[in-house]
Amino acid sequence: MNAPTIWETRRHRIVTRKGGWRIGEGVRVGAYSLLDDMVGEHTFFELLFLEVTDRLPSPELARWIEACFLCLSFPDPRIWCNQIGAFAGTMRCAPGAAVSAGTLASDSGMYGPGAARSACEFIEEVTREVRTGESIESIVARRTTRSGRLRAPGYSRPIASGDDRVGALCRFAAELGIPDGEHLGVAWRLDAHLRTHSADSLNMLGYVAAFVLDNGISTEESYRLFTLIVNGGIHACYSEAADEPAGTFLPLRVEDVEYTGVPSRPLPRGNTA
Amino acid sequence: MEESRNTQFAQRIRTRIWQELTDADNPWLATDARCHGYAHSEMVGQLDYAQTLFLLLRGELPDARQRELLSRFLVAFCNPGPRHGATRAAMNAAASGTRTQHLGAIGLALLGGEHLGSAEVEHAAAFLARHRDADPAALARTLIAAEAEAQNAADRRIAPGFGTLFGGIDPQAGALAALLGAAPGAWPVLAWGGRFAACLREAGCGWLAPGVAAAACIDLGFAARAAGALYQIASLPGLLAHGLEMSRQGLQAMPFVPDENYEFLDPRDGVTVRDPAI
Repeated sequence: MNAPTIWETRRHRIVTRKGGWRIGEGVRVGAYSLLDDMVGEHTFFELLFLEVTDRLPSPELARWIEACFLCLSFPDPRIWCNQIGAFAGTMRCAPGAAVSAGTLASDSGMYGPGAARSACEFIEEVTREVRTGESIESIVARRTTRSGRLRAPGYSRPIASGDDRVGALCRFAAELGIPDGEHLGVAWRLDAHLRTHSADSLNMLGYVAAFVLDNGISTEESYRLFTLIVNGGIHACYSEAADEPAGTFLPLRVEDVEYTGVPSRPLPRGNTA
Repeated sequence: MEESRNTQFAQRIRTRIWQELTDADNPWLATDARCHGYAHSEMVGQLDYAQTLFLLLRGELPDARQRELLSRFLVAFCNPGPRHGATRAAMNAAASGTRTQHLGAIGLALLGGEHLGSAEVEHAAAFLARHRDADPAALARTLIAAEAEAQNAADRRIAPGFGTLFGGIDPQAGALAALLGAAPGAWPVLAWGGRFAACLREAGCGWLAPGVAAAACIDLGFAARAAGALYQIASLPGLLAHGLEMSRQGLQAMPFVPDENYEFLDPRDGVTVRDPAI
């Protein structure tokens, strides 16, 4: 007889290493009791790390991750994901819809968690290449197009060059006693090279990517850990717009949308419903 | 130190799709609109939904054959079915009292997945667009030889949109491909997909629904990204119907796995967690 398929073994059955709730016994998160071991003993970010990775981080690492969330909490509704929060507020959507929609928007190739994932993959790849003895110059040259455009996620930023958040996170890591590792060493070498030869430099997501890899967090784990990283700004922009009269956030007159399509034409006869 | 890149942003939103006609008295109001040049007020009553969708996404009205294929597409993929994760998400939400206005977003968020979702449709469309002129038999041989072992003996993917469903060849996907391919007209990508699926049969694989949807969309002239979006549009009615149905049934209408079927691999019992050093 054939062995049961993976689907048969999981039909009507959940097998988990994460934990769960037993009524009357409590809630377990891995090896820990949620109410007895976590509440009052650990921070939300320690718990979040545990829930994502199955590992309880050091309090210092959790505080550093929390600082990353702070760094992406701009209450500025011009930022794309935040503006979605503001539109949700002005359209009188529920806060959950606002934060979910803004969070989905931040899964972008240009900024936010989506870009952080690319930055992780990039610095992981470059670190492997450095290990094999390849020079930073050669690594950069291979990733530069004929038109001079460099493909280096984590080393450029929309709208602004430079990134003050890198310095803030660096200082905080030093205060927490978390040293730079191999990936950050490579990231800084690349940063120094690019600063000399271009307008690009290490941005926050590039720094975070190298930092997390140095601290034993995989690319996929970091993509999951940082899913909600922009939520503070979305909450802010939603809240303000929701408190204003409905439909008044960045309203557009008809003329504010420029039509560039074909001119007016009649519907053809014979091809209609 | 941060410095502005002085990025030049557009002063106004630009669109080739929709032209609103300003009210003479109030510049915030529109009296009518044109969709790619056609008066919206005339479209209502003269165009059906397939024609309207095609116009919105392609900029022109479909010919009679395209209209028929798209109509079949919208019916073919109107519902991923009550076992699909996206539908179950909508049903779960509805049963647990989620506000009705969220059901569509919840269902579509999960229909965006790379496993049997719109992301797979998009990848499949890119695959088909790239290989539609290749010899399907040779390509099938190459891809089967290169196939990575399926994780946990779960479903296989020879290419996006082609593989196994619950370990077998999905008969429904094959049937839908035949129904779409039988629409009047020549549909070369659906035909190519059929030949490719036949070449996979010996290896136990075949069409998957996202592959069929993708092939139809490429035959209709849609880009890969639009193919994924069309799959979402087509499936939304089914997701909502199941959600709305469940919202009338209440919390107990959805199964809740009992404790005896909930197996916790407790690390306190010596089950190893990954990398416990950190």
